[in-house]
Amino acid sequence: MTTPVRRSAIPPVRLMSLSLLFVSAAALGYLSGFPDGLGLLVAIAAVLLAAVLRVSSDHDLAAYAPVPALAGIAVEAAAAPVGFGTELLAGFAGLCFLAWLADDPARPVGGDLRALPTIMLPALALGIAWSSALFLPAGAVPLGVAGGLLALTLAAVAFLVGSPSVFDREEARS
Amino acid sequence: MRGPPFRPLRWRPLAPFLLAVGAALLFAAVLTRNPVPLFLGLPLLLAPVAVGVAGPRSAPPVRIDLAVRGSSEEVRFEGIVASAPGLDARDLVVEIARPASLREAAETEFDRSSTELRFRANWTAPEPTIAEVSVPTVLWRDPMGLVEREAVSTAAPLVVTRYPPELLRIGAVHLERTTPLPGETHSRRVGESGEFHGIRLARPDDPPRQINWRATARAGRPLANEYDLDKTGDLLVLLDARPTPLGRVIDERLFSIVRAAALGLSDSFLTVKARVGLGVFGEFLDVVPLATGRTHRIRIEAALTQAHLATVAAPAERCAVAARRSFPPGLTTVVFSNLADDESNDLSPYLRRRGFPVVVLSPSPLPIAAGMSRLSRKDEELAARIARLVRRNRVARAWQEAPTIDWDDYWSLGQFVDFVRRPRIRRAG
Repeated sequence: MTTPVRRSAIPPVRLMSLSLLFVSAAALGYLSGFPDGLGLLVAIAAVLLAAVLRVSSDHDLAAYAPVPALAGIAVEAAAAPVGFGTELLAGFAGLCFLAWLADDPARPVGGDLRALPTIMLPALALGIAWSSALFLPAGAVPLGVAGGLLALTLAAVAFLVGSPSVFDREEARS
Repeated sequence: MRGPPFRPLRWRPLAPFLLAVGAALLFAAVLTRNPVPLFLGLPLLLAPVAVGVAGPRSAPPVRIDLAVRGSSEEVRFEGIVASAPGLDARDLVVEIARPASLREAAETEFDRSSTELRFRANWTAPEPTIAEVSVPTVLWRDPMGLVEREAVSTAAPLVVTRYPPELLRIGAVHLERTTPLPGETHSRRVGESGEFHGIRLARPDDPPRQINWRATARAGRPLANEYDLDKTGDLLVLLDARPTPLGRVIDERLFSIVRAAALGLSDSFLTVKARVGLGVFGEFLDVVPLATGRTHRIRIEAALTQAHLATVAAPAERCAVAARRSFPPGLTTVVFSNLADDESNDLSPYLRRRGFPVVVLSPSPLPIAAGMSRLSRKDEELAARIARLVRRNRVARAWQEAPTIDWDDYWSLGQFVDFVRRPRIRRAG
């Protein structure tokens, strides 16, 4: 029997990370290919639903808060046309989503700051990827190479997820 | 030499979700030849890996100080979890396992800082109880909630004991001793086993010399003399842990109450330096031999904490035979039994025949059964009345063999304390 699942008090809304998420999602929605400001509506609806779920008093329900936020951003990104800064904005939205995840009001304040070293790694990779895409000449061959690298990345991630002990550094037992 | 326990990194449900969405975005990017989904998918794919790399690479050590406070029904389980240097205590999650016999009174309170985490679980004990509170599980969880790893601590579990307060005073009552001390002689001894004690209904196995013929003629029914057995100043606490027709749930609750009362009784007598032995009779008799002192108190507490109901009801005679092997005859014996069936009633006569003077303390199942009833109010009243009659009959039958105290208010043992103070007051026949 563990501590209760139901939370008695509604956790407060953390405005900073929520604002970042909303601004990035709204900007991505604006640049996405949806007509008549539908992208903006998708962003508002997704972020609003995520915020409401997160402050829900039901712990089980609050656990589903990342789903609408991520779904909204993913739909916008999938529909967004290639542009000068659209890719970078999509990546920034992903990072903002991670910061918002870390800033869970059900947990102690400052989660986003404590998660900063973790977020820095994808941010660095994103920067390298974006600068490579911007400055390197594109063609059929690089696309094939990129596809192969992506497939390799997926395989590596799948391997890491399947064997979390790779991250362990336990002392040897005699 | 054994090393620290292995605590692997565990993915939380959010991590596979992020990876799945990241992979889907990646495929969408390749299929549509559009890099935008790829750039969104990149942080999602890398975040779980980054968390695994940035977090502690082995089970983080934490220091846990635990305490149980409160009195009577109130139980406060408090603790301080101090993290090792380099580990932020705000990323620690404490999972507290509440014993089944305790109830939640209010939500657990947490007070966190970067170096330590304090918690206070507020519980209540609806009935007397003895329960082991295991060491809370401490997890390091990354701020994003993607991975977690169990921390290592060296804290030991605590035991919560709550029993009726009257038991604290019962030890001051010295058990009536009939065994002569060195240098002491009894001026007169009557009967086979000691001094005359009283008259009771004759049993078929009573020898003719024990029948009180004059009293039998006066009463018109066979009555026999009863004599004091040799009694020491020691105490044997015997718990009947056999299953009864009441059902597992009621049996478990009554047994939990009984364990708490047994510990209280032992505590009280150990405080006045009396020797106390313990027996738990389920399928077989598990004993803690007679002894005294603080270590013995811990021994009894451990035995009572680990005691559990048996699944098979063994014959009462087995208990008496086993008790005679482990304890000297004449030992004042307090039997805890719910007297719910004939088997329970049989325990005291067998013990008496083996030379143990018995007092039965019987927790009544009626308050628990009433709380669990699903009948309508009218039917409930009728059922309660019938149950009371049955109970009274059982207690009366038990009285024929040994003094029996019906214990229906679990937080009070005044009736039992009164009896121990005036042990001569007893009925015959």
